[in-house]
Amino acid sequence: MRRTGKINRFMKRSLWLFHFNASGCNGCDIELAAAITSRYDTERFGALLVPSPRHADALVVTGAVNRLTRDALKFIYDQIPEPKVVIALGTCACKGGVFAGCYNVAEGVDKVIPVDIYIPGCPPKPDAIIEALAKIAGVKSKKARKMEVKESGSKEDRGDD
Amino acid sequence: MGARKIEETINAGIEDLRDTVRSYFDKGYNHIVTITGIDVGENIRLLYHMANMDGDLVHIATETSKKSLKVPTIIDIIPGAYIYEMEVHDLFGVNFTVNPWMKFKLLLPDCYPSDMPPPLWKEVDAKKVQQSLFSIESPACALKEPFSGVSRLSPESMVVPFGPYHPALKEPEHFRLIVEGERIVKAIPRIGFVHRGVEKAAESRSYLRDIFLLERICGICSFIHSWTFVQAVEKLLNLKPPRRAEWIRTMVSELERIHSHSLWLGLVGYWMGFDTMFMWIWGVRETIMDLLELLCGNRVHKSIVTIGGVRRDVTKEKLNTVIKQMKKFMKEFKQIMDEVLSYDEFIERTSNIGVFSAETARKLCTVGPIRRTIGDPYDIRKIEPYGAYEEIGFQVVTENKGDVYHAIRQRMREIYESARMIEVLAKEMPGGEAVPKRLFMGVVPEGEAVARGEAPRGELFYYVKSNNKHNPYRVKVRTPTLANITLASENLKGATLSDVPLVITAIDPCFSCMDRVAVYRKNTGEMFMLTEDDFRKLRRKWKP
Repeated sequence: MRRTGKINRFMKRSLWLFHFNASGCNGCDIELAAAITSRYDTERFGALLVPSPRHADALVVTGAVNRLTRDALKFIYDQIPEPKVVIALGTCACKGGVFAGCYNVAEGVDKVIPVDIYIPGCPPKPDAIIEALAKIAGVKSKKARKMEVKESGSKEDRGDD
Repeated sequence: MGARKIEETINAGIEDLRDTVRSYFDKGYNHIVTITGIDVGENIRLLYHMANMDGDLVHIATETSKKSLKVPTIIDIIPGAYIYEMEVHDLFGVNFTVNPWMKFKLLLPDCYPSDMPPPLWKEVDAKKVQQSLFSIESPACALKEPFSGVSRLSPESMVVPFGPYHPALKEPEHFRLIVEGERIVKAIPRIGFVHRGVEKAAESRSYLRDIFLLERICGICSFIHSWTFVQAVEKLLNLKPPRRAEWIRTMVSELERIHSHSLWLGLVGYWMGFDTMFMWIWGVRETIMDLLELLCGNRVHKSIVTIGGVRRDVTKEKLNTVIKQMKKFMKEFKQIMDEVLSYDEFIERTSNIGVFSAETARKLCTVGPIRRTIGDPYDIRKIEPYGAYEEIGFQVVTENKGDVYHAIRQRMREIYESARMIEVLAKEMPGGEAVPKRLFMGVVPEGEAVARGEAPRGELFYYVKSNNKHNPYRVKVRTPTLANITLASENLKGATLSDVPLVITAIDPCFSCMDRVAVYRKNTGEMFMLTEDDFRKLRRKWKP
């Protein structure tokens, strides 16, 4: 359990986000970018966009996921180190939104990869994005705790030995 | 103006299509706006919209049966038309002979089922296409294998893949760059990562719902999409919106232009590693976002325009706030730009990069600020005035050289001009009603209309065909980035790898606008194919 505490301590701060545009309209993308720039400035909490998924703690997906981005999304999701958090940003990423029923749309990120946090809105305001960051920290530590159990084995497991 | 009904078309048979196009090209209609495909039962009807520099449009119509689907190409007359022929080829299955890009059936995802007819045919059900597309597992769509058919030009050259998910690109797009050393010899864009199928969806929804759908084609220039569509529908209804509504629309449109241009200027700073500029400009841009929220209730998708007026009126106090805040914005923005443009490093980094000539821009039918950078005053607001642009009067801003530095200056000066217009609009806003009594829910009488608007990125074109129903028969959108992407890949030739983000961004690409269609450019016959295995063999052989 001591190691969990350690991971949690690291997870509390500096959430690094990887932004993935899965056929979004740019609306959510510019609001995410607005959230990291000077007025809202999420960097004061340590949250910033990173260029590589391998450095990221959380994956932010915008858009309704089309056929070409679907496989790329899976590929990038696999590269993010555990414990990972997936955020569906915007109504399209949550459920397809206005594009539901279009022929090249998968209608939601959760059809492709598991999603932890949904932020609806078309597009959500930067305030909503900042609020979600607080939630990520919670989800993250929960996942980290589970992961720890999986690695070292629970008390019962050790009893069996 | 701005929008017009199509009263008469020039009908041409398939045999004399080329001659007709050539004769109008010689008469001065040398700018092809787009090629519209329409499914009319047994046949596919094609409309070639050609424009001259004075704002006149001609529509050359031809028909081909769904069985033969063969039309002669016009790319030798107008080279910029190849991208529109590809679009029609993909969405309607029409073969243009002999367009070298035609042999590759590669609009849409590569794994689009071959037994399925093209998506925009009326008998095709969107739901079925969706089901079959997402049930196929094909390596062609998985991006794990290199796109086939990309080849080297000489033994010394190499192929460098760029994107689709690259830190320098904010939107997914793939470029295959063929390089010799550090220099790029050829750039082949592969687009389609943001293709959703909006045109098909627009046919099945009512006019009122279409406004909100078409607005979401792009999040940056969303208002002009809905406005241009509404202009076309109003023409079909013979409806004239109140003067106050036109002024409010014009004001929101100019605010959007400032927001889009300043967003771009910030990103230029980001792409050249000048993060301070990025943060500064995005900081002052928030003032504009506040004003948009004040006027429309939303920051990004404004949703203020409706058929026959606007959905919200503005009060006197709000207009006063606009005047006050614009003054504050201009003061801060001017200060930042003066500072930025006084850095020698900034000027040296951006000058003489992505250079292009006026001839290239004209040949490829380039539109928008990038066209004005070389000195052509091609601005739809001027040549085909709509909204309040004729009344308030404004100057078309132009520069005199095609490179990244002048593209920056061009957009900076357009912001100054827009800010001046907003002040005039806010001060002299006419009285009267702006909001229609009730939202339009009726049927639109049969007819065809086109509308053009000046989006922040250039000329935006809408074609709407109605048939006495609640939903349109066909909606066609031609966005400015589709017209400009050919120029971007042309400009990349001769650039170095480190300049790629700056050169691509000079046209202010907006892929979500463009990717209602996908485009694939390929090398022609004389080059050989290079597979991944070839590439590996080559790597083993190669000794420095």
